[in-house]
Amino acid sequence: MAVAVGGASGSGRRKSLDAELNLVSFIDLLSMCICFLLMTAVWLEVGSLQVKQSHGTEGAASTSQSHEIDLTLDSPTSLQFVIKKGGRPVQKQQLKAASVEELALQLNQAMVSFVGSPAGKASPISAAMITSGASVSYGDLIRVMDSLRKNQIVNLGVVPASRDSAVAGMKGARK
Amino acid sequence: MNLKPQNLGDRSFSRHLVARQYQRKKRSKMLIAGLMLTSMVDMFSLLVIFLLQNFSTSPELAVVAKGVTLPISATSRELKDAPVLAISDSGIFLDQKFIGATQELLEQPEPLMKKLSDLREIWQKSHPNQDFPGEISVQADQSISSAIVSRFMGMLPSQAFGSIQLAVVGGGGGKG
Repeated sequence: MAVAVGGASGSGRRKSLDAELNLVSFIDLLSMCICFLLMTAVWLEVGSLQVKQSHGTEGAASTSQSHEIDLTLDSPTSLQFVIKKGGRPVQKQQLKAASVEELALQLNQAMVSFVGSPAGKASPISAAMITSGASVSYGDLIRVMDSLRKNQIVNLGVVPASRDSAVAGMKGARK
Repeated sequence: MNLKPQNLGDRSFSRHLVARQYQRKKRSKMLIAGLMLTSMVDMFSLLVIFLLQNFSTSPELAVVAKGVTLPISATSRELKDAPVLAISDSGIFLDQKFIGATQELLEQPEPLMKKLSDLREIWQKSHPNQDFPGEISVQADQSISSAIVSRFMGMLPSQAFGSIQLAVVGGGGGKG
């Protein structure tokens, strides 16, 4: 790499004004930059699940004609859900499984059978409220929420636990 | 090289063939490995620019509180800039500042309420003619009881934080 600068015309030898860039040290610098960027990069992709804690206010007015689902997660292996329309129960089902993964799969299948194919159309279920017990971990709750969101049920809410239930969850975690 | 038969006997001709073969082998081994430094520098520069652009997305959003392992979700969306409430077994942190022990705050949540109220007031002072968006990001450990998380989530709307983002690790791989 060289930069040529025209010299003045005149007698005698022209002094070369080509500036040579030291490529080896330049490559060293760039290599160090790449190493630094790769080592300091955050590879964890942090995303979010949106939850609206506004049940009974703005949600109620808009969902009188659409379905709602009340889901109770008693334990990591059992749940029950009630699908309501205009406040009246339409479908009630209890699911039990050996693990939370299987439970989420069963819930997904139940939702697919009610909602139909989720691809490209809005779900008839507009909102879901989830109640979870003290024995259910936060990771399990997210897994269940994931199953609902896969079926285009995106307006999710979590029913606040009672103080006793939260304290019981705290004690359970210590054990 | 003169290869006229009168100049070469049987012996000298075979010698000549052997010598020629040796020279050919030697020539084939002499490969000059030239490195194109200019194009290498170009490639490195492009790599540096790509990495800088790729990793320059608000690093403060990706900060996960100590002692918190986020759950995995396959349906996560982009995390918006909002105050972060971290919930773990050891304690509750608001924007990485320790508020109190989890057990204590479950029983007496006033210090958390006060901090949330302060946050809201600061936002309203800095944005005088705008509605408060009420967005807050909740980072909770995946092994903690969901009752604890939902208890704290239930406290947030009382301080006008109604839009809650549950922080998760993206890419669950379509399980369940």
